[in-house]
Amino acid sequence: MNPAELALYPFERPATLAELCRTLSARAGRRERTVLLAGGTDWIVERGFAPPENPDDLPLVLDISRLPELRGIQLAKERAAIGAAATFLEIRSHPVLLRRVPVLTAMAREVGAVQIQARGTLGGNLATASPAADGAAALMALDADVVLASVHGERRVPLTQFFTGYRATRRAEDEVIVRVEFVLPRTGAHQAWRKVGTRAAQAISKVALAAVAEFERGRGVRAGFGMASVSPVTASLPTVRALALAPSLASVSDEELDAATRHDIAPIDDIRSTAAYRTHVASALVKAFFRELRAAAGS
Amino acid sequence: MRIAFVLNGKKRALDAPPLARLLDLLRGPLGLTGTKEGCGEGECGSCTVLLDGVPVNACLVVAGQCDGRTVLTVEGLGTKDGLSDLQDAFVKEGGAQCGICTPGILMAAHALLTANPQPGEGEIRESIAGNVCRCTGYQRIVESIRHAAKERASRESG
Ligand SMILES: Cc1cc2nc3c(=O)[nH]c(=O)nc-3n(C[C@H](O)[C@H](O)[C@H](O)COP(=O)(O)OP(=O)(O)OC[C@H]3O[C@@H](n4cnc5c(N)ncnc54)[C@H](O)[C@@H]3O)c2cc1C
Ligand code: FES
Ligand code: FES
Repeated sequence: MNPAELALYPFERPATLAELCRTLSARAGRRERTVLLAGGTDWIVERGFAPPENPDDLPLVLDISRLPELRGIQLAKERAAIGAAATFLEIRSHPVLLRRVPVLTAMAREVGAVQIQARGTLGGNLATASPAADGAAALMALDADVVLASVHGERRVPLTQFFTGYRATRRAEDEVIVRVEFVLPRTGAHQAWRKVGTRAAQAISKVALAAVAEFERGRGVRAGFGMASVSPVTASLPTVRALALAPSLASVSDEELDAATRHDIAPIDDIRSTAAYRTHVASALVKAFFRELRAAAGS
Repeated sequence: MRIAFVLNGKKRALDAPPLARLLDLLRGPLGLTGTKEGCGEGECGSCTVLLDGVPVNACLVVAGQCDGRTVLTVEGLGTKDGLSDLQDAFVKEGGAQCGICTPGILMAAHALLTANPQPGEGEIRESIAGNVCRCTGYQRIVESIRHAAKERASRESG
């Protein structure tokens, strides 16, 4: 990146969420640009390849990394609320999440390496809206809601509706992501996080699958999937979800799973991989998860 | 912007652009050139320092986010004449060759041993997975960290 350019940006540290929302609203009204800075692991790196800014018209950078309303992980009444500024390191070290939501803690443990986990946040992961975002894939499998705040109060958007296109979301310019919320998977739910990358740490995934399946007396009652790097936005695999809820998993064939996966994704060729390889890996990950489900159902 | 923080155990305050990188503050006005720049984008770990005890890449932390916090760099581990036990283990076990990656790896390993005094090989490798070394092939580095852990354990029991 260009350190000299970075040093020119104006910067403020709002003390409260209310103050942040007032600043965002006033600036959006005047058509002034604002950047919310959390861990900086996306935004600072992007300064390196983004076109240079006009030094006389730089956006105001607001540090939200230590805003109390965006911090912390709360669990109550079988629901989890994770602050947008909670880091991957905080998530992977949380004892209850480790036990109840391994799909999320396993994901957090594989984001970059510890230096990235110590800074990177769920809010940043969702706001960047990269199709490769691991946090978005895991939260998609949990059917999380994104909670946004502005001077008008809070609103809640299901993550399955949050992304509107490549790197585009339903967050308005005067809004901040305050937290994500989801219902804890019931005890005994099947959860899987599988990331296929190039090397263990630091890899942006070629394909990653997050999967959660809940059963009641042998019958699937809820299935959630999230897949990274297989379409312009995080894929929620609706056709695959429907198959996971079939009356009998044994009757779901590999051919059906392949067809469903192909139907639900739209992979591309890029520097990290090819569309054909991604389709192959995506199908293999889905089939492997269904094999685990069938094995568990049979036992 | 006025930035006040605790650096290697001492209170420091200086004026700096709020989005100056911590890496540039350390190597420039603060004169601590032990922290190295490799990639400048979070990939190589050679700029690793501890922020409130946790390893971070100093190339991705800005000055304004350090205000009121604690930073530890390789200069805070030991002195030229009094190396820390971990640094000493790297010398004895050949954990450093060209040395560019070494300050960052020392900081990552220091954080690991503080949190987990007797790590297994997998934990050691995970702790330095964000630190790229082009020289050693990592084996000597892992052995150096293991050696330091063993020495600490025997000092405590003995
Ligand atoms: C070496 C390296 C390895 C990486 N590996 C992975 C990986 O394995 N998997 C992965 O998914 N990602 C990876 N990343 C990307 C990055 O770390 C994550 O996307 C991270 O979650 C970004 O969070 P942040 O807090 O650092 O975001 P920032 O850089 O602070 O912000 C990113 C964007 O989100 C906006 N934003 C931040 N917080 C909010 C909020 N609360 N409300 C509204 N907007 C907000 C910012 O304005 C900015 O536009 C990696 C990055 C690096 C440098
Ligand atoms: S220089 Fe900071 S990670 Fe490479
Ligand atoms: S000793 Fe040369 S890069 Fe590690």
